[in-house]
Amino acid sequence: MTDAGARVDAHAVGRRAIVPALVVALYLVVPLAFAGNLHLMSLVVASLTIGGIALAWALLGNLGGLVSFGHAAFFGVGSYASALLVMKAGWPIAAAIVAGGASAALAAVLVLPALRLRGPYFALAVLAYAHIFRIVATEWKSLTNGAGGIGSIPRFPVVLGYDFSGKTGAYWIVLSLVLAFAIVYRRVRYSDYGLALSAMHDSEEATRAVGVNSVLLKAAMLFLSAFMTGVMGAFNAHYIGFLEPDYAFSGLWTMLPIVAAIFGGYRTIAGPLFGAVVVYLVDQLVFKAVMPIGHQIVLGALLGAMILWSPEGLLPALANRLPRAGARPSRDA
Amino acid sequence: MLELVGIDVHFGGIKALDSVSLAVGTSEIVGLVGPNGAGKTTLFNVLSGTVRPRRGTMRFDGADLGAVPPYARARRGLGRTFQIPQPMHTLTVAGNLQVAQRFGGGGVDRRAQAEILELVGLAGKADRDAATGLSLTELKALEVAKALATRPRMLLLDEVLAGLEVQGKRQFTQLLAQIHARYGLAILIIEHDIETIRSLCPRVAVLDFGRLIADGTPAEVFSNPAVVASYTGVPADA
Amino acid sequence: MTELVLQALYSGVLTGSSYALIALGLALVFGTMKIINLAHGELVLLGAYIAYTCESALGVNPLLAIPAAIVVVCIATALTYALVARIGRDRELNSLLLTYGVGVMLTNGALLLWKADIRSTRSAWLQEAFVMGPLYSMRSELLFFVVSVAIIAGLWWWLARTWAGRAVRAVASNREAAKLMGIDPHRVELASFVVAGLLAAFAGVAIYSFGVIQPSLGTSLTIKAFVITVLAGMGSVPGVLVGALLLGITESLTTTFLSSALQELAGMVLFLVVLFALPNGLFGTAWRRRVR
Repeated sequence: MTDAGARVDAHAVGRRAIVPALVVALYLVVPLAFAGNLHLMSLVVASLTIGGIALAWALLGNLGGLVSFGHAAFFGVGSYASALLVMKAGWPIAAAIVAGGASAALAAVLVLPALRLRGPYFALAVLAYAHIFRIVATEWKSLTNGAGGIGSIPRFPVVLGYDFSGKTGAYWIVLSLVLAFAIVYRRVRYSDYGLALSAMHDSEEATRAVGVNSVLLKAAMLFLSAFMTGVMGAFNAHYIGFLEPDYAFSGLWTMLPIVAAIFGGYRTIAGPLFGAVVVYLVDQLVFKAVMPIGHQIVLGALLGAMILWSPEGLLPALANRLPRAGARPSRDA
Repeated sequence: MLELVGIDVHFGGIKALDSVSLAVGTSEIVGLVGPNGAGKTTLFNVLSGTVRPRRGTMRFDGADLGAVPPYARARRGLGRTFQIPQPMHTLTVAGNLQVAQRFGGGGVDRRAQAEILELVGLAGKADRDAATGLSLTELKALEVAKALATRPRMLLLDEVLAGLEVQGKRQFTQLLAQIHARYGLAILIIEHDIETIRSLCPRVAVLDFGRLIADGTPAEVFSNPAVVASYTGVPADA
Repeated sequence: MTELVLQALYSGVLTGSSYALIALGLALVFGTMKIINLAHGELVLLGAYIAYTCESALGVNPLLAIPAAIVVVCIATALTYALVARIGRDRELNSLLLTYGVGVMLTNGALLLWKADIRSTRSAWLQEAFVMGPLYSMRSELLFFVVSVAIIAGLWWWLARTWAGRAVRAVASNREAAKLMGIDPHRVELASFVVAGLLAAFAGVAIYSFGVIQPSLGTSLTIKAFVITVLAGMGSVPGVLVGALLLGITESLTTTFLSSALQELAGMVLFLVVLFALPNGLFGTAWRRRVR
């Protein structure tokens, strides 16, 4: 799979027209369409939150070559950091959210020694970290109020006359964050760093011989992924307004993004996002209705099935069967 | 340019390199020969940083090389090719040079990339996939091009000619001479082909069982009885 | 004071013996297939829930549930192996994702079938105190310690003395060479999965007998098994035993002198210490590090 800087994106032509239209639709049409249905809107917001984590997870996998089973760690750290900064140190929410991301990136520093471990070991090491942070959050009562959790976390403020604490406001915020992440991901991927990163996985010796500091680049991807996930956690804290260790560090914040990213096609940038929306909405609207408890068993089965039969994701496989978006004009047009 | 003094390398109980001292001047071409297993590639691995010497010092361009991590040695001006070509095969030819320039050469320069490709004979092939689109000769050319892209002041060439037929070897030897003339860099070249060594290298060093047993002009070295013995297996004093 | 320490050591060794069963199962599969079964903890949990079902539905002592647990868990592991063996490429990574998915299915399956409540044995006989001098334990703890020791000894004998066990060791040390000797790696892999399942079943019943279980325990057990293998250094069976005992002892010392809530954290800290300071574990070879 070649990804040289000079390659022309095969769908670029069609996509150029579609993307701005899609963005506008997302910002305007969705809130209008779902305005009355608060439940649906909250599901959409949650799915985008998961989408953001899925994107961050896929970035770490694709660019960093590292698979993590513990992204919940970064999510939880971001949640608590942001909530605490606002409530105990009086920070404004926007700054606190950024700081939440930064705290998660800082937590990733602790994960650095695990970088020298081979694949499966790294994956599990991060899982262990998620466990550790959850226990710390539960036990460090003076800081986090322990298992009792933190309530009444300040919501998003009124900006330019619009109250962002409602569902639509939250939707716009999370949508903007996710799109920003996608843009950053794209820029890194198509930069020289992206070239070096893609070369590093297969030819580490060769890249090192020409001056690439592979350890530093991997670490950078880890920090970036952790930052994005931490920001999502921080957003979620102020959106939900309540935090407790089992929620903030729940394994669901790891599992759902993974299933979403694999489903949507983790090698693409938009894939994890689409995957998150589809997987989460279907899980909450369909599976949960049929099996109120344990409905995520279907997701586990889906993940297993995808790995065996369609590791590149289901959405890409389906897309391959449909006529290409932005198709070349047919001869008789 | 390069100064090695008393380099010792141990792998378990085996002494791969035994008190090797070698110097290469600023624009000098030095050949490194010796039977298989003599320690030639090990010496290169010490220079590029993948192997740590147990003892000895290395100075490159006036500064201590031992303290420099492997990935940083290319930036210091020490370029290296591998015996079995190791292109960055998820990239194109151009991509390979791009990464090499950006990370090892101090900055991207499209013109320089074009010049290098022209020089090694890959001019129209910038968009070829490094994994599948190149012949053996082209892969070797890419190997050299990649190293050149890091703007080296010294090149370590590890059996670049291996696997080429007679004509190919001659062409490649000419290429190496052209590169030397063009960039004026120091070259340390491991090679088995004596013809090539004689025509390219004013100076030759010989390794045998990890020790440096000769260092001089090709004429001196190849008539040295110890060198002959190391190749034929007949002891020097037989 | 020394009494407390002795008690903690004693309890730690008893618990550690069950941890050893879990970790050995993980190590066995890793040895032959070079993959980590992320669902391993959930398989132990399955064994525990079988014991619960037998006790609550049939009124039998959990010990008698062991055969049922073995059958169910071994079938589950064989199925897991069947799936893993079907992975086409990139096995190291894809097996992680696949077994993770299996783990999710098992955890949610447990939720579905047995709800989220915390369960533990009602057998008074098992919970009865068993005193040996100044040392106290539940009868179940001591019982399963003996069982674990017997099983580990049996495992050692199997690996060292039987042809099947030798085949397992052969594949673990050099798969290609083993194939050349006529050993079918698939059968060896299946065998290692099934044996791991056997170990897991025992460990599951043990944990149900002297501890508490709930659906979320699966992940926690997988992590503990992983921590033990990190402590041990991959490729070292004695190391796993020492690591398991060390974890058990660390946990019980923490409970005794600090608080039971920090018990989980103790193991994690041990893990971090090893990760930072002793990357090869206490006994392991340098396999785990990247080739530099």
